[in-house]
Amino acid sequence: MFLTRSEYDRGVNTFSPEGRLFQVEYAIEAIKLGSTAVGVKTYEGVVLGVEKRVQSPLLESSSIEKIMEIDRHLGCAMSGLTADARTIVDHARTTSQNHEFTYNENIKVESVTQAVCDLALRFGESVHDEDAMMSRPFGVALLIAGIDENGPQLFHTDPSGTFMRYEAKAIGSGSEAAQAELQDRWKKDMSLNDAQVLAVRILKQVMEEKLDQHNVQLAQVTKAGGFEILNEAALQEVIQRM
Amino acid sequence: MDGKTAPQMRHFNPYSDNGGTILAIAGQDFAVIAGDTRQTVGYEIQTRYAPKVFRLNDKAVLAVNGFAADGNMFVKKVKQKLEMYRHAHAKDMPLRAIARLIQTMLYAQRFFPYYVYNILGGIEEDGSGAVYSFDPVGSYERESCRAAGAAQSLVQPFLDNQIYFKNQQPIPGGPPHPVHLPLSRVIALVTDSFTSATERHIEVGDELEMFIVLSRSHPQQSLDPRLNATEVSTTASGEKVFVIRRPLKRD
Amino acid sequence: MSIMQYNGGSVIAMKGKECVAIASDLRLGNQALTISCNHEKIFPVSDRVYYGLAGLATDVDTMRQRLRYRVNMYTIKEEREIEPETFARLTSSALYEHRFGPMFVEPVIAGLSKTPSGGVEPFIAAADLIGCLNFAKDFVVAGTASDKLYGVAEGLWEPDLEADDLFETISQTLLNAVDRDAYSGWGAIVHVITKDKVITRKLRGRMD
Repeated sequence: MFLTRSEYDRGVNTFSPEGRLFQVEYAIEAIKLGSTAVGVKTYEGVVLGVEKRVQSPLLESSSIEKIMEIDRHLGCAMSGLTADARTIVDHARTTSQNHEFTYNENIKVESVTQAVCDLALRFGESVHDEDAMMSRPFGVALLIAGIDENGPQLFHTDPSGTFMRYEAKAIGSGSEAAQAELQDRWKKDMSLNDAQVLAVRILKQVMEEKLDQHNVQLAQVTKAGGFEILNEAALQEVIQRM
Repeated sequence: MDGKTAPQMRHFNPYSDNGGTILAIAGQDFAVIAGDTRQTVGYEIQTRYAPKVFRLNDKAVLAVNGFAADGNMFVKKVKQKLEMYRHAHAKDMPLRAIARLIQTMLYAQRFFPYYVYNILGGIEEDGSGAVYSFDPVGSYERESCRAAGAAQSLVQPFLDNQIYFKNQQPIPGGPPHPVHLPLSRVIALVTDSFTSATERHIEVGDELEMFIVLSRSHPQQSLDPRLNATEVSTTASGEKVFVIRRPLKRD
Repeated sequence: MSIMQYNGGSVIAMKGKECVAIASDLRLGNQALTISCNHEKIFPVSDRVYYGLAGLATDVDTMRQRLRYRVNMYTIKEEREIEPETFARLTSSALYEHRFGPMFVEPVIAGLSKTPSGGVEPFIAAADLIGCLNFAKDFVVAGTASDKLYGVAEGLWEPDLEADDLFETISQTLLNAVDRDAYSGWGAIVHVITKDKVITRKLRGRMD
């Protein structure tokens, strides 16, 4: 890909003669540098797991936030430029709250995903009196997990604004290995507990550091509990089960 | 005259009252939403057939009463939003969502309101019959029956008595008052309410238009042929919507 | 706000089979403030003629005295009990005398007339505040809850009700109507006039 590099990789809204938007493709590349995140869907709910890169022994690992709540029935894990995710999650939260305000019902997982993706392509030079838009594509991919009337669902979004639904999905630096592993291990009838173990096991395989309750984070969305981030004790229990 | 004219204030009143009455009753697994079709201004009858009750989708029917121009525009906008919602979320908007949407739309006009009393009837997601009533600026409530419009004061206390059994003691040792009435009884009460209102109120009459929404859990999925009902629902698998039209006195 | 609504209160009368009923609420108010919940608005003229007055309480009082005077004068002169229709005409002319400065009351009259064959026939009538009479064949109403009374009565009333059924019908009509009226309520009183007795019952509605 980098061999075909040309002047067309500068403007964010200019196609190359081959019909590519390089900046978007580079943004997708940026995700491959990010920490690994996995999502696993089961009939009981969805599990999200992320790796936290603790670069320094002086870093307080609890301050690394790579899984965020969108609403009581929605959460997401991220990989890439996590600062960009704040804008996205903020938009998702606003959309979800607005929906609840206007319709007195939970927004569907697909609808909130669509709303996030609508935002993804609002980059480029602004047109005359229009408000300035974002200057570049987002450099982050999300795994959006949630439950609605269609049951538990897991969506993947990338900087191009494309979204797809998955049974299980990995993103970030270790995603290739992780995805292969998910393909082998994911079962349609697996329980939420199995999914927790699977997520942690896969993270363990792709992480450089030795996995413990400080350098991974696990969250789940269930019908009964909604979105919840597992606390240290619960996380440790999952690690022990592994 | 001294050539000077004193300033005169002209006042334009953007609203008028077009009379008529609407009424909705919720059953266990059905809802009946009705309205007369007379449209008046003062003592004049503008038309004997101006519908005030509208099917929104296969589980929701909206009745609007008050200022007809506002009412028609409001229904148009609700229908538009329902269509947009269908595209955005790939499903028909559920009844309680429509109720909240109507509140939002009415309150958005808080300082230049739609001069309209709305009653929304239909089937909830759990299959139960429901009625929501609104004031012109969006205050709303789920109830099992409500009348609004010109003859509200005539019909509502009658409904209190016949639907809620107000001021009636159940027979000691006998069964308690039913919480929900059967469809045949509800249709009879609606008809009686409108014939009574027609008898005593000049703005009510001409024709009664009654929508009936049957939940999928309703034991009968069709109506008694003697009722002469027309089915207006769009799918065979969803809730069933019927219309019954009956003449009212035209004097 | 109209002076007719100042004190609140409602009256209704209904025809039955060889019986009539007349009923009212018991509230006396000063606009929204309730002053009394034992304020009767129905008065007897004889054993078979009753009338009720809805409207401004002070005028109700005055009108009652005026009608008592006129009925007494009639009875003395005629040496017989006044017939309900005659009483209605008398009330009407008493009110019309004040055509351009009316008493703010609306009368409702209920009674049993004597027929030539010696039987009785139910009679009801109502009038506006200047005495325009309305001889209805079913029911008449007056007061702040009149629109509600019309609605409920139109739904509940049927012809040829026996005394006990008529009692139930008029009671249900009145109670349910006044429950939707802020200016009426706080209990009710019902008189059912039959050919051999008058049954009077006080009802406790919702006291709010």
